[in-house]
Amino acid sequence: MPDAISSTKRYLVVDGFINSRGITTIKLSRTYDISSSTTSPVETLATVSIEEEGGQRYLLREGSTKGTYTSANLALNTIKNYRLLIRTTAGKEYASDYTPVKTTPPIDNVTWHPTDTGLGIYVNSHDDANATQYYKWEYEETWEIIPLLSPQLEYKNSIIQEITTLFPKVCWSTAQSTDIKISSTTRLTRDVVSDYLLRSFSTTANQFRYKYSILAKQYALTPEEYNYWALLKKNTENIGTLFDPLPAQITGNVHPLNDEAELALGYVGVRSVEEKRIFISRSELPANWNVLTGYEVCVPPDTIYIDRPKPPPPPVADILRSAFGLGSSSWPLAPVYDGSNTLIGYTSATLDCVDCRRRGTAVRPSFWQ
Amino acid sequence: MKHLYSWFVFLLFLLASLTSNGQQAEKTISGNFSHVPFEQFASQLEAQTKLRFYFNPAAVDSLFITLQAQDVPVRTALERALQNTPFHFAIDDENRVFVTAGVTLEPSLPDSFFRSEREGNLANNARTTEKAPASAPGRSRYVREAEAKLYEIGSGSVRGGKVTLAGHIRELKSGEPVIGATIYSEAPSVGTSTDQFGYYSLTVPAGRYDLKIRGIGIKNTRRQVILQGDGKLEIEVEEDITPLKEVVIEAEKDKNVSGMQMGLEKLDIKTLRQVPTAFGETDILRVVLTLPGVKSVGEGSTGLNVRGGATDQNLILFNGTTIYNPSHLFGFFSAFNPDILQSVELYKSAIPAKYGGRLSSVLEIKTREGNKKKFSGSGGIGPLTSRITFEGPIIKDKSAFIISARTSYSDWILHRLSNNSFRQSAASFYDISANISHQLNEKNSLYLTGYLSADRFRLASDTTYQYRNQTASLKWQHNFNNKLYSVLTGAYSHYAYDITSEKNPVNASRLKYGIKQTSLQADFSYFPSSKHTVDFGVSSLVYNISPGSLTPNGENSLIAPDILAREQAVESAIYASDRIDFTQRLSLSLGLRYSLFNALGPRDVYQYTPGVSRTETSIMDTVRYGSGKVLATYHGPEYRMSLRYGLTDNSSVKASYNRTRQYIHQLSNTASVSPADIWKLSDANIRPQVGDQYSIGYYHNFRANTIEASVETYYKSLHDFVDYKSGATLILNHHIETDIVNAQGKAYGVEVLVKKLTGKINGWVSYTYSRSLVRVNAGTPADRINGGRYYPSNFDKPHDFTLIGNYRFSRRFSSSLNFTYSTGRPITLPLAKYYIANSLRVYYSDRNAYRVPDYYRADLALNIEGNHKVKKLAHSSWTLGVYNLTGRQNPYSVYFKSENGQIRGYKLSIFGRPIPTLTYNFKF
Repeated sequence: MPDAISSTKRYLVVDGFINSRGITTIKLSRTYDISSSTTSPVETLATVSIEEEGGQRYLLREGSTKGTYTSANLALNTIKNYRLLIRTTAGKEYASDYTPVKTTPPIDNVTWHPTDTGLGIYVNSHDDANATQYYKWEYEETWEIIPLLSPQLEYKNSIIQEITTLFPKVCWSTAQSTDIKISSTTRLTRDVVSDYLLRSFSTTANQFRYKYSILAKQYALTPEEYNYWALLKKNTENIGTLFDPLPAQITGNVHPLNDEAELALGYVGVRSVEEKRIFISRSELPANWNVLTGYEVCVPPDTIYIDRPKPPPPPVADILRSAFGLGSSSWPLAPVYDGSNTLIGYTSATLDCVDCRRRGTAVRPSFWQ
Repeated sequence: MKHLYSWFVFLLFLLASLTSNGQQAEKTISGNFSHVPFEQFASQLEAQTKLRFYFNPAAVDSLFITLQAQDVPVRTALERALQNTPFHFAIDDENRVFVTAGVTLEPSLPDSFFRSEREGNLANNARTTEKAPASAPGRSRYVREAEAKLYEIGSGSVRGGKVTLAGHIRELKSGEPVIGATIYSEAPSVGTSTDQFGYYSLTVPAGRYDLKIRGIGIKNTRRQVILQGDGKLEIEVEEDITPLKEVVIEAEKDKNVSGMQMGLEKLDIKTLRQVPTAFGETDILRVVLTLPGVKSVGEGSTGLNVRGGATDQNLILFNGTTIYNPSHLFGFFSAFNPDILQSVELYKSAIPAKYGGRLSSVLEIKTREGNKKKFSGSGGIGPLTSRITFEGPIIKDKSAFIISARTSYSDWILHRLSNNSFRQSAASFYDISANISHQLNEKNSLYLTGYLSADRFRLASDTTYQYRNQTASLKWQHNFNNKLYSVLTGAYSHYAYDITSEKNPVNASRLKYGIKQTSLQADFSYFPSSKHTVDFGVSSLVYNISPGSLTPNGENSLIAPDILAREQAVESAIYASDRIDFTQRLSLSLGLRYSLFNALGPRDVYQYTPGVSRTETSIMDTVRYGSGKVLATYHGPEYRMSLRYGLTDNSSVKASYNRTRQYIHQLSNTASVSPADIWKLSDANIRPQVGDQYSIGYYHNFRANTIEASVETYYKSLHDFVDYKSGATLILNHHIETDIVNAQGKAYGVEVLVKKLTGKINGWVSYTYSRSLVRVNAGTPADRINGGRYYPSNFDKPHDFTLIGNYRFSRRFSSSLNFTYSTGRPITLPLAKYYIANSLRVYYSDRNAYRVPDYYRADLALNIEGNHKVKKLAHSSWTLGVYNLTGRQNPYSVYFKSENGQIRGYKLSIFGRPIPTLTYNFKF
């Protein structure tokens, strides 16, 4: 291991955009050591506001999630330029460049087509005014999960007993898009996005075991912001092959106001958001697809034997405590008997196999239908 | 003995100088002779004239004369009489006629003395070649005789008082030309050196000269000539058999100071062999890398960075053909078998006008022509490779062949490398070079060279790389007359790689790339007088590139075929240069090369919105050019100027200015040159590179030219060479120009070199301070790198110290020590990580803002020669070496990558331990 660069600099990271029609959410954090295994340090108690060029300011408040600042539901003037102003508790000030408001055209539709190799989810949009041209998308996907194993037992008070509270039968798992999805229509004679591949799945993707939903979010970008995301994508996502390109530095449009030595990372654009949600059920997909459950590793379940190793086996209570006691992630499923109907143990599975809340929430999302 | 020679020489001189007086009072004779014994013929002539004949009666007892003469001058009569016989005659002023057989005692006036008058323009030939007695051993009688002999050349009727002497200098035993040998006269001081064919041409006032011949690996010799008219003198010299003595550069003894050329590094095979290498194999590129001004990013790379130039800015010529990938095995080996090599020349500042097409340097590698007299061979067995060479005459003294092959036979070394992925790899390679030379007649010679190198290696058991160079060239050398000769070269060069991946049948693919280059070049050398040396010529070169194709490999592959359109272009140039020697102290070389480049269709060319960063999104239009249509033209002059001023006999100052243009670019945004790098032609969107270099140097020789010292400083500016936008995609990119930016570069430095090439201790010490900086300041701010400021290039290593030392214990044992120190190379490191857009990302420092730790390494080698009997079945030698004696783990790179959610760092050393090698070499 080479000497890590112990940069004492903890640069401000600004993640978010100014929503011209709605609530603006900005997350402030700091860069941190490569070798650190924690989550990124949040920047709390900062003063964050949206400033209209030559006009008024709208304050963002830090909510219960530290480092996340939200505005009121705003409707900004689309012919003005706006910027984000940040003042940290240390007194450092940062501002993004004044940026014109891009009004995002609505998503025409979100479609999906099964192919031989899997499923593609596509987004279509257009702007008759030819004013958008640069598009960025994010998505949030949610799918139902139903564990294969439903335990009838639990380990409580040092014994195996009938379960008192059943695990939820259904949960909903949610994931955010992590890769940068951008496209431009500048090569086309009309400002039309046709079947942009937003998400693709193989034929076995477990998201489609029951029901799946995707919320596509569309943003219009300025050319500068488009270039920023394109560069960031190349530098951090399309890297790591044998022919590693030489890496480069990317900062964005947020700059320190009172300290030239400071630096901020991130690009704060100003735009509206358009969203569209669709649902896909397993029954709509080709029947011959071998869709996985996501619980393949859980079957067949393991068995905890109480009659071995022989002779003589340790006390049953010890076996059970080490298998299911405090600190264990296993859960008893059902008793196991031998040929003479003697209890010799219990089948078991990890908590992840039986409790779907480990992978999502048991609270039915409000949009779920 | 020596005195006797001098005395003899003096006598001959006397004889020769007096003959011309004798000519005035020449008698004529008449008579009909039909198969008359020579003794009878002689007595008849004695009766008619005052001549007295001297000859060995036993030698002439089978000589019969048939001659019809009516008032024919005696000389003519004798000449005709002895025509087509092995006999020669000479007449002194006392009317004594000496008749002898062969060269042995033949004094000065060959039978061809008058031929020039009869045969018109053809210059006289001093017949010297065929007379070496077959039995002459060692430092032969032949040489003694040739040195003692006075060659009288020319007819005496000279226009303007200047005559041109030309010919070849060849090695006596093998008949191979001696390249770069100097032939000069001390008083008056004139001289020249042989070219790649061993050819020389010397224009001097008529008169008597004592010509000295010095050359690399040959014994010093001399020839005495009386020049009365244009003529030829073929010179055969002896090989210096004991290579450990007087190793090198004797030829160049004072070249450091007196030569015109600056920034020229010349290495012969014997120097190359002494330098220890990692695998015990003589490796020309490794030795070139020890020269001042030459750097590479690291040990695993043979990519040369000459005076701040990129690795694609070196024209690597192998007998006139361009080599696109001069290395084997990721760059650990150079792809040239040392046994066939004759010499290596690196031009790093003043590049002669005949060369063009690359910005920074010309590395000219020349092979031997093969032994023209007898069949012989040589070879070597090393830890990783074995090699064998055969050579011999096809037609004795006229044509010869040499063929040399080398192959690797194990993956042994790979398994010793500290990098795990290397350990799982396999590698094999081979190369074959062959050369045939044929002398059609005195005026025409042909040279045919073929070269093939191929590599196949598997990286970490998934991807198989194969690449190969194939080149061929045919040279036709034609001498118009002593003052003008031409070389017509046709060359073909092909480089291709093929990367296949097979492990996953779904992803199995084949990626191919290929470049073909066909060229025709005519070079002329004209020697109008001793003050001028004129070179001129034209060349044309056709490129044909298959920029890349990705195709499915196997039936189950789901890879979508992706094939980039071909690229074609023609690069032509015309050049002329004149070296003017104003006085002995001052000489000037002026050269101009004008190059023209046409990129040709068929091709679709994207047009981009001006003023915006070129991305796919800024493509405005696509213009389709038909087959053969010119889609872009670039042209411009390339100035080549140099000046020398001799301050004293031992010191001089030289200066040069050079402009070079380059129309082909190697695309590589990896730190080290990889075999998968591609070459791209200039086109409508990619401008050619232009470079200017100014250099000035001071040269001083000490101790009777045994120690050479030089200080050269240079400033170089480079325009429009390619650099890459962050995260550029170079492979299979349909619009590569969107990922390329035009970079500007500047490089400057001082190179100090002290060289001692004779004596028990020899070698060189060099120190270089140099900087190589790049700036990308064009386009939009997003395209700029490091904010548009200058930043160090990948190979910017300011301090560099190299010691190459050889110590000879005896003629059979010698040792070599290498020591190298340099500043660590610049790298880009991640400074921090951060979370944005739902993902953890890495923030990098400014490009090349950090450096790996300093590099140093010492190597040791011991050479043991077999006994030095000249005649034995095979000469053999052992080379025992240790590479990286101290086992220092010099970091090649430091990098960070994500693994299991964490970003981890690694330090990679290529040769992190001492590597011992043992090589056995033989020659028969």
